[in-house]
Amino acid sequence: MSEDLIIGIAGSGGDGVISAGESLLTAAALEGYHCVMTKSFGSQIRGGEASCRLRLATRPVLNPNGPLDVAVALNWDDFRRFGAELPVEAATIVIYESNTGVAPDKLPLQGVKPTVVFSVPITEMAAQHAGTDKAKNIVIAGLLAGWFGIGRESVVAGIRKKFAKKGAEVVEGNVRAFQAGLDFATANPLPADRKLSAPQAGGQAKLLTDGNDMCAAAAIFAGCTFFGGYPITPSTEIMQFLEREIWKYGGTVLQAEDEIAGIGAVVGASFAGKKAMTATSGPGMSLKTEMLGLASLAELPLVCVNVMRGGPSTGMPTKAEQSDLYQAAFSAHGDCLRPVLAPTSVADIFGVTVEAFNLAEYYQTPVIVLSDQEIAQRKETVDPIDTSKFQIIERRQPSGAELTNYARFKLTESGISPISHPGMIGGNYLAAGIEHSESGRPTASGEMHARMNEKRFNKFNPLKNRRDLFTIEGDPEAPIGIVSWGSVAGVAREALRLAQAEGLQVKLLVPQLLYPVAETVYQDFFASVQRGLFIEQSYQAQLYRIVRMNVDLPAQVKPFAKSGSNPILPTEVLEKLREMVVAIQSGQPQPEAIED
Amino acid sequence: MTTLEAPAKPISLTKFVPGDFKSDLKPIWCPGCGDFGVVTAITRALANIARPPHEIAFVSGIGCSSRIPGYTTAYGFNTVHGRSLPIAQGIKLANPELLVLVASGDGDGFSIGGGHVAHAVRRNIDITYIVMDNQIYGLTKGQLSPTSSRGRKTVTSSFGSLEEPVNPLLYVMGYGASYVAQGTPADMTGLAKIIEEGIRFPGFAFINVQSPCVTYGLEEQQLKAHKTNMQSLESLGHDPSDRARATELARAYGTKLYTGVLYRNPNPPATYGQGVTERQEALKKSAVPRHEILNRFKPTN
Repeated sequence: MSEDLIIGIAGSGGDGVISAGESLLTAAALEGYHCVMTKSFGSQIRGGEASCRLRLATRPVLNPNGPLDVAVALNWDDFRRFGAELPVEAATIVIYESNTGVAPDKLPLQGVKPTVVFSVPITEMAAQHAGTDKAKNIVIAGLLAGWFGIGRESVVAGIRKKFAKKGAEVVEGNVRAFQAGLDFATANPLPADRKLSAPQAGGQAKLLTDGNDMCAAAAIFAGCTFFGGYPITPSTEIMQFLEREIWKYGGTVLQAEDEIAGIGAVVGASFAGKKAMTATSGPGMSLKTEMLGLASLAELPLVCVNVMRGGPSTGMPTKAEQSDLYQAAFSAHGDCLRPVLAPTSVADIFGVTVEAFNLAEYYQTPVIVLSDQEIAQRKETVDPIDTSKFQIIERRQPSGAELTNYARFKLTESGISPISHPGMIGGNYLAAGIEHSESGRPTASGEMHARMNEKRFNKFNPLKNRRDLFTIEGDPEAPIGIVSWGSVAGVAREALRLAQAEGLQVKLLVPQLLYPVAETVYQDFFASVQRGLFIEQSYQAQLYRIVRMNVDLPAQVKPFAKSGSNPILPTEVLEKLREMVVAIQSGQPQPEAIED
Repeated sequence: MTTLEAPAKPISLTKFVPGDFKSDLKPIWCPGCGDFGVVTAITRALANIARPPHEIAFVSGIGCSSRIPGYTTAYGFNTVHGRSLPIAQGIKLANPELLVLVASGDGDGFSIGGGHVAHAVRRNIDITYIVMDNQIYGLTKGQLSPTSSRGRKTVTSSFGSLEEPVNPLLYVMGYGASYVAQGTPADMTGLAKIIEEGIRFPGFAFINVQSPCVTYGLEEQQLKAHKTNMQSLESLGHDPSDRARATELARAYGTKLYTGVLYRNPNPPATYGQGVTERQEALKKSAVPRHEILNRFKPTN
């Protein structure tokens, strides 16, 4: 029996790889399993290679990574293009299309010879039973359902629903194709039973979605009524979701002529008093930078989601990377502070997006949400979210008294000044990118500029004390501390679990708030720490370096970072943790100098 | 001539005078700058429109002309270079009740921000775009502008410009603008009139103002010259509903100074905002409460 199954399927674009994965995913979710499915494509729009990784487990799954338990190859050239994304081990069960002409003992895999291999005439079975080789995905679903005991009834129900419009003949053909897959599995049993154990009893009915749709739904929940943006991979589904929904709530989506106009319209909508959002990826962020500076100076709330992909420039549009943190924290010229938040999962992006709107409206500032391609496009089961636990914050508007002799940028103790909007009598003011006095008049006074900078920075001071934007897991007094953020935090969490199972004394800090750096949170976390790691998916380990700009970290806290699209595995992290335990026990002297 | 209705809100019963729309901020412009006349014309037009200042959003980019919003009592937004149109469109879409004006210059509007003009025109959001065209970069002290004539010598074209100028009138006509007019502060009455009419026009309205730069402009570009050169389109018997003729006349940009309404679509197309409102009305019935939006993620096979 299995508690946790990782299945990788790869083929050409038209092979139905993704839909095979999705039908099993939906079936497993309905049965109460915890699931994560990631998709990966070549950059071609049609054809080209496509793959999915499906992880199904009886307890919460924290990331899609790790070597495959099951590999399905429709053809080997496409399969091998995914390299480290679909790692095959000797223990991996390999299922492949017979018409590739490859002998089971001569699989084109380097350095590994899997022992359980099935050559299956998938295309032939599809053609024979469904009358079309398009039913390959159905055959695959049947094979996997048979061998691993997932979702027989619900896949069949799904087939009946999906093909209902095409008539009884098509429906029955596909049902037969599925049954053929099941029968093949029954006739060719695995050497050991690998069926997935029953899901945990009493589990709640789950939601199933991806990070982009969840982010968009959170925006609706938070009261967003304006979205301006420009299509860019891998963020576009946020705009697409909102374009289907936002009108119902009296809102508008503007697909603008470019990234600049997209955020420009958002700045305008916010000036007009509405909660507004844009979403993009790295190249779009580069273009939006000037507008972010304008919104910071004019103190206008907005949420800007950056679904990170590999960079710089066009980089790797369909692969996740965590390399835009510097840009989020530091882009736009001038002295400026902009909150940056990052979700760790599909479930987490709901709360992070709502928080981003709250911070934007409360502090009157642009807020960056750093999602990434993996969270954005992976489908994940999510336990029901109790939305009544979330507070919705609105911007502080001037009272009647404050509207007499209204000063838009009044220097208050908190640094937050009541904000009016067009249509409000007495609230008239000049918003501008130019430095201003309290009333909004343009100024070139050095003294006023200094006071306004102080206001714009000091207003964020309470944010650094928001400990609820950080989670700490593990032994609080542990001598080993790891930090991780974004989608990679799921890897770190699993590594922590593995380390704890071995009795290692480790703790983990996961920030949702990346910037400004909450100095005291890190200082407290590292107080007990002798050795540690920042686990990040970027060449530079950008969070590690940003934290070090602000906090004196112990010398033996180091980055463990890889460029995007190179999976970081929980077992690799575990290995590092074991090494650190040995180093601490052997009492190696702590070097004085921090090496870089 | 068709009489066009004022947009959106009912006209207030309060009487306004131009002074109600002038702020106490002292302009930084050079004495004699054409833009003084433009702000006066705008405030005259606004007094006739009679919407209170707090219901007006006045957006601009960067340049001498873009200082204008601060010299009015409207909600002003002096944004970044070239981006007034996207911001203004966001404002209007977010609150269709507002009267939205945009001020720009030839550099702001047709060079750094030129890419936005086509889209604002074809999108047809109900805003009024006033470009103060002086064929020079004044604020940065006299460089070549996109509307400078070929051969023009400036501090960045010491031996004369090697490029053809943009023709703003033809540009917007080409993208299908429904209201296109040109004016000069040399004819204040005419200028205030075309601005007022542009504001009342239901849809995107473009007004090119030949607003001379007294410091870097050529002699033949000054108001004194305008007074003798300008020709009112009305006096020429031009029918503003004649699109073909309007396009012909637009070609004379840079050689002739025509003033008045060049083109007014006799059957103004629906604005973007009307489409938005209709869609919102049609779809609001199918909204689930915001806190139930996550229910759509319940899996079904």
